[in-house]
Amino acid sequence: MRAAPFIAELRDRGRLTPEQAAAIETDERTRPFSLHYEIRTLLYLGITLLSGGLGVLIYEHLDELGHGVVVAVVALLTAACFAYAARHRPPFSWGLVAGSSLLADYLLLLGCLLFLVLEGYLQAQYALFGTRYGLALALPAGLFFYLAYRFDHRGVLSMAITALAAWVGLSVEPLAVFKNEFLTGSVSRAAIAVGALLLLGGWLSETRHRKVHFAYTYLLLGGNLLLGTATAAMFTEVLQPLALLVILILAVSAGLFWYGRRVHSHLFLLLGATYGYVALTYGLAQLLSATGLNIVLALGLYYFIGSTVAAVWFLTHLKRLAGTAAHEQGL
Amino acid sequence: MNKAYNPVWARNEALRTAAQSWHRRGLLPLPQLQAIREAYPLDFYRPNIYLRILLFLLTTLGYLAAGGFVALFAYDLFDSVVPWREQAKIGVVALLAALAGQFVLYGIIKLSRTYRAGSDQALLYLSLSFAGTALYCFVLMLFPASTDLFTLTSPYLALWLVLVLALLLWATARFGDALVAALAYVVALLLLANALLQLTAGRLVLPFAVMALAAGLYRLVRYLAARTDYWYYRTCFVALEVLALATFYLGGNYLVVREGNAAIGGLLVSEPIPFAPVFYLLTALIPLFYLYQGLRRPSRIWLLTGLATLAFSGYTLRFYHSVLPPAVAGALLGAFLIGLMAAALRYLRTPRHGLTAAPNNDAGERPGLNLEALVVAQTAHAPQAPEPGLQFGGGQSGGGGAQGQY
Repeated sequence: MRAAPFIAELRDRGRLTPEQAAAIETDERTRPFSLHYEIRTLLYLGITLLSGGLGVLIYEHLDELGHGVVVAVVALLTAACFAYAARHRPPFSWGLVAGSSLLADYLLLLGCLLFLVLEGYLQAQYALFGTRYGLALALPAGLFFYLAYRFDHRGVLSMAITALAAWVGLSVEPLAVFKNEFLTGSVSRAAIAVGALLLLGGWLSETRHRKVHFAYTYLLLGGNLLLGTATAAMFTEVLQPLALLVILILAVSAGLFWYGRRVHSHLFLLLGATYGYVALTYGLAQLLSATGLNIVLALGLYYFIGSTVAAVWFLTHLKRLAGTAAHEQGL
Repeated sequence: MNKAYNPVWARNEALRTAAQSWHRRGLLPLPQLQAIREAYPLDFYRPNIYLRILLFLLTTLGYLAAGGFVALFAYDLFDSVVPWREQAKIGVVALLAALAGQFVLYGIIKLSRTYRAGSDQALLYLSLSFAGTALYCFVLMLFPASTDLFTLTSPYLALWLVLVLALLLWATARFGDALVAALAYVVALLLLANALLQLTAGRLVLPFAVMALAAGLYRLVRYLAARTDYWYYRTCFVALEVLALATFYLGGNYLVVREGNAAIGGLLVSEPIPFAPVFYLLTALIPLFYLYQGLRRPSRIWLLTGLATLAFSGYTLRFYHSVLPPAVAGALLGAFLIGLMAAALRYLRTPRHGLTAAPNNDAGERPGLNLEALVVAQTAHAPQAPEPGLQFGGGQSGGGGAQGQY
């Protein structure tokens, strides 16, 4: 036990009362060793391997297996996962539900993944939804939203948001926005609208105290979707006018920055600062080149020196900006 | 050996961390925690991680630029004053750069009280690299010009390795840096391999010698941890313990021994090795032994190393024998893992054998849980059957987890 000298020293210097020192010593000696994260990681690995393996298996043996057997097996597994989660469901509440079972959490996630496998298989084999592809995505989105709220599961919530965005026409995995090559005006507008909707949802859940802890997922995915699409649209010039777009990005970035300060989150501060900086730089460059003067290059040098200084200042003051230093003190 | 940093810093830091965890577990009221914090101040400079990376990069850049600048002048000067051999000139310049780096490092630790703040680490690593280069040049001067030092079987390599090892050991004792300590162990391993490969029977003994060296290192770490300033060298001890366990396993791993044997012998395709059953047995049993020890002690280092080595053993098996198609193997392994973890959760519902499934800090929510849920859900994609003609791609990237990567 490495802490023993510390306890003795603190007791001798009068920082701990003898009773406290004894209590801490007993706790250090008898406290069980936590396997929590190891179990979580292995459970996660297990559901990934199982759902991935089953999915690939169905792909490869689409023709050989009896369809009925496949559908029955996957449906049975899905139902078993959902049944287990339902049996261990916590009572519903608009707050954070404490003490939900770890296994039930992961099995719920597995059930959702298997549901997607099953749905994809049914669509590919039997064209269950015909050509109404929207329905094929709206169904999981609706189901996952319900499950996320009922079982208080943030992972399922982010899957629901992904399905929702896919339903509207794209994938919202962070950064995947840039890989989509079909960034047209209408898709961008839809993505920005969904992003704004998600931001609004996050804001409402925070202020109305409806699952406050869901706000993070809503705001992170919604913010990335909106800002990522708007930035990409700004560069590829699929949306006009430019000024409005830049103002939109700056406003949302400022909002995220403000939110990051409010909840002491470095992530939102960095997101807001980065997107805001990119939009501001691009907007200024466009503005200057529009004036037709040949000073862009000369000014650019000073601008980048200035922004390097600003970045260093931002990083040195990150803790103070987020208020985490004071926050940790009071923890 | 005098230490470069104030040893009180490391100790105060550890003490404050311990006090913080007592507070989280409700054993220490907040006013007392704050009193302890005031009594044990952290009066060194270490900014947040982004700034540390930035400082590291900037210092590296500055050091290299200054070094290159001075080297240009020094080179010209040498050319006109002393007719030295090429290696001597490079060696002297590198040595000067290393000494200057150490001097600046000493200065910033004294003046700015940096303690693993990025800048001091950059100076340490770079000045050690310069010193290693200088040693290499000087060793090269001792031998005829045509000798090739950089092959593992070269008999001249040992001299350089011994010097570098001495340098790294000195730096480890002085700075207590984990990377330097790990590098020193790697150099020791190279030295061992180099010595054994001079003998004809060396290649046969090498795996066992590596295992013996790893076991020796483990004993040494345990010995030193009890007898030196533990907190100052804590990261070194952790790194060396992990490395000792990993190399002990890899020394006995069938895949490593077989492919390493082929690489040393210059074979393109590896062939079966002598004592194959021994290595099969070691490959299978060492991870299980690690896991058992990790749960019995209990020690997170043993446990996590055990899991990693177990995964590598699985890879070794699949490398030579295709037991099942990957998809089937993945699905079965996944089902097995879920079942095993379900059993573990049930078994550990009340703590047994000093183990529990509950998180360590039960007061309040753990930071990062939000992000974890997001990552888990976004990466655990079920591959969907192709949906012909779907305009927007469906949003799922297929086959995400079937490779069984860790």
